Amino acid sequence: MPDLSHIILAVCQALLLLAVAPLVSGYSRVLRAKMHTRRGPGLLQDYRDLVKLMGRQDMHPPASGMVFRVMPVVMMATLLVISTGTPILTRFSPIQAAGDLITTIYLFALARFFFSLSGIDSGSSFAGIGASRELTLGVLVEPVMMLALIMAALLAGSTDLGTIGTAIAAGHVHSLTATVVAAVAFAFAVYIELGKLPYDMAEAEQELQEGPLTEYSGPSLALVKWSLSLKQVLVVGWFAGVFLPFGSSTDLSVTGILLGLVVFALKIAVAFLVVGVIENSVSRARFRFTPQHSWIGVGVASLAFVFYLVGL
Amino acid sequence: MTMMSFSFLPDPMDLLLVSLLLSAFGALASLLAKGNDGVATWVAGLPGALAGLAGLAAGLPALTSPASVFETAGPYPFAHFILRLDPLSALLVAVISLLALVSWIYSLAYVREYRGRGVPAMGFFMNLFVASMILVVVADNAFWFLVFFEMMSLTSYFVVIFDQDEEAVRAGFLYFLVAHAGSVLIMAAFFIMANYAGSYDFADFRTATLPAPLASLVFLLGFLGFGAKAGMIPLHIWLPRAHPAAPSHASALMSGVMIKIGVFGIVKVAIDLLGASPNALWWGLLVLAFGAVSSVLGVVYALAEHDIKKLLAYHSVENIGIILLGVGVGMIGMATGNPALAVLGLMAGFYHLINHAVFKGLLFLGAGSVIFRMHTKDMEKMGGLGRTMPWTALSFLIGAMAISAIPPLNGFVSEWYTYQSLFLAALGGTPFVKFATPIAAMMLALTGALAVMCFVKAYGVIFAGPSRHPDPSHGAPEEAPRPMLIGMGILAAACIVLGIAAPVVAPVVGTIASRTLGAAPVAFADGALLIPAGEGQAVLSTPLIAVLLIGMAVLPVVIKAMLSGGNTLARRKGEAPWAAGYLPDVHMSATAGSFAQPIRMFFGPLYDVRRSLASVWTGLEVRFERFVTFARRTEPLWDRHIVDPVTEGVDKAGRRLQPIQGGDFRVYCLYIVAALVVLLALTVR
Repeated sequence: MPDLSHIILAVCQALLLLAVAPLVSGYSRVLRAKMHTRRGPGLLQDYRDLVKLMGRQDMHPPASGMVFRVMPVVMMATLLVISTGTPILTRFSPIQAAGDLITTIYLFALARFFFSLSGIDSGSSFAGIGASRELTLGVLVEPVMMLALIMAALLAGSTDLGTIGTAIAAGHVHSLTATVVAAVAFAFAVYIELGKLPYDMAEAEQELQEGPLTEYSGPSLALVKWSLSLKQVLVVGWFAGVFLPFGSSTDLSVTGILLGLVVFALKIAVAFLVVGVIENSVSRARFRFTPQHSWIGVGVASLAFVFYLVGL
Repeated sequence: MTMMSFSFLPDPMDLLLVSLLLSAFGALASLLAKGNDGVATWVAGLPGALAGLAGLAAGLPALTSPASVFETAGPYPFAHFILRLDPLSALLVAVISLLALVSWIYSLAYVREYRGRGVPAMGFFMNLFVASMILVVVADNAFWFLVFFEMMSLTSYFVVIFDQDEEAVRAGFLYFLVAHAGSVLIMAAFFIMANYAGSYDFADFRTATLPAPLASLVFLLGFLGFGAKAGMIPLHIWLPRAHPAAPSHASALMSGVMIKIGVFGIVKVAIDLLGASPNALWWGLLVLAFGAVSSVLGVVYALAEHDIKKLLAYHSVENIGIILLGVGVGMIGMATGNPALAVLGLMAGFYHLINHAVFKGLLFLGAGSVIFRMHTKDMEKMGGLGRTMPWTALSFLIGAMAISAIPPLNGFVSEWYTYQSLFLAALGGTPFVKFATPIAAMMLALTGALAVMCFVKAYGVIFAGPSRHPDPSHGAPEEAPRPMLIGMGILAAACIVLGIAAPVVAPVVGTIASRTLGAAPVAFADGALLIPAGEGQAVLSTPLIAVLLIGMAVLPVVIKAMLSGGNTLARRKGEAPWAAGYLPDVHMSATAGSFAQPIRMFFGPLYDVRRSLASVWTGLEVRFERFVTFARRTEPLWDRHIVDPVTEGVDKAGRRLQPIQGGDFRVYCLYIVAALVVLLALTVR
């Protein structure tokens, strides 16, 4: 079981991610404005949006039930739990018992379960379609994630995210090529999970009026929007923690963790810069053709598998 | 390792016999109560529930104690009536008894739906069905095993055709056909083994050593025979037709436990009975392959269903696949001489076997409650039931999350162990195992994601959103009656306990696995941590995750309360959902068909596979019907050439002799005198 210092680190890490999530989504908005050569809102605009929404009325459609009401809380709580198990500031998982790769993938499924169910529960057709798409994307992406991470795990000999990251940082992997190819496949899957263009399917703003979010308003909408930006920071942190663990702290010392924080901020800045460039230079993929894209992911992950088997 | 103590209970074997007697009593009492359905419900249900309790009390302590045996002479010298309660059979006894207990409680209210349609007969067959399942798993003689296996198939056949409509009868016929094809294969496997063992006792089977090719043949026969019972693809075709046709509490028993007897049989033949014979690596790989294919195809087909019970039945195919993945890894471990891997794989399979019985029972009972109120199985005509049936909805939601392997519920724990066993197999092992197991893990991930989608759809379309009933004047249904809620509540609680208390449950299941394999015990828990094969590989703590989830949920609640400033206007029921300016209509919201449409589009080829599989079975059915017609046509031939001439001859002779019997007693006297004279003449000479 984790000791007290690990628990404190875990809670701090979760709160930190929650606190910076609107900043990161604000950063994405600034980047988009830059690429559109317009001035756009400031870096802190998303905080202002959240505060404003919190003061508004919370309405729910007459057909909605229990799930619609609890979803914002369940989703944020689940993402916070995942944040406690992901190695982000440190090389190891703050709470190892929640930091297994299988546990992480299935905890994301918990969030997905409620997010989509609330879409059906609202009774709105847009929300229903968004829910269906969200789950379809899950079906297409989860096998890629699983295969890519299991490749990395096999090379490290453990399914613990922290142990995989440590092995990769120390270069203790049996096959460099396989690791790199698995990283590419996982990066692709993570990009789809971000819900950004060209894979902005479930919450497609212009097409589906934000999918499952359509019927949310006021504080509930604020919580869901916040959770969605937390999820984006978290999946990028997940990728960095496993495949790019360089710079994170190997122990519980304050200086090490602060240094890890600075390095993490840099990683996030670079990652979302890349994401911003991609997102603003493509159009939305047609939903019915997404399997063709996700097959690329499966292909790359399988390639890593082949490299692993051959032992390159 | 601390074990639960059951020393206050009587001997497990005695309790088991008590349980069987209670079931038999319930069956007879139910028949005697013919004509009074209300009485029949209670005299079948109460002894049944008590039998379930006794079975649980017999099974639970026997899980970790040494095997006990009950033996009496049978009617034939080869058929020793031997019952054996070892950890493996105790596991099945406990699972069957739990589900039986819950189903009987549920039935007290549920069979009202079947008033006047033979409730006493249902009580009779259901009680015999439960008893025969228990007898199958404890029988320790091949003859009696087959007798009880047949009894189980027959009693469940009568439950399937209970509705007596054409669909039920057809489903029942197909079930009958496949069940018997399976038992023929099993019989063949047992005969071959008996030939080598010199007797029909399983005790002798266990020590017999078969030559490798013959052992493989026995394994294949057993695997296919029991696989048909388990409903693995491609032998699943009867399952999605037969299970939905039965009454819901019977479906819960059939899907929850009867198909597990198929898995039990595979484990019994491959690991228990063939334990002394050389086992090949390809056995495990074969089981693994069938498991992976069954899991993916089962859930893909489930997604396309509108009929709630068919959807659940296809999920049984999926979960049998997941159980087989664990069993397959266990067999791989056995064949490659890696006992730790074998124990881990088998333990994962057993854990999922228990879990699937619990959540699938729960879901079938939940579906039964909905059908009880709505009188339809079509999900498209439901919707919004959660508002007036909140407890049914909550239980179904727990079951849906458990079957979707959502942490920290029980389905997740067993799938986590399954992944870990696949991972451990991939880490070391022959190239072929290294190749197969990561692919199986990926297919399990695909299955998991599809299951989430399927159960979001099932819960969403039935319990959430607006009501879609075609008749708008149809009022909102009432909550299900209390006995049905109690039945579901017990299983929902079991889903939570088996998940969160996994650090206590896993070592017990691990012991069953290691004892079945005859291997050294493996540690599966360390305090509140779950460990697969040493803490280096992975650790998990479901209690910790549960605490974290509850603790973290406080944060958004507090943020909302603080930032919204106690807004009194908060929480208001708004207008109908926004529909781009059009008048919103119920038909605009998500339906069972539209929700799964992307998957039907993306996985089109897999549905084509089903069509061609179905055509094979239809072909078989057609051929069987032709055979029956042929038999019907040839049957008169016997009459015409053998029976008819004889009867005609007798008839003719009779008519010839008729004049003798004129009816005049003076003539009869003359006959007597004539006879006397003839006899006298004969004796005097």
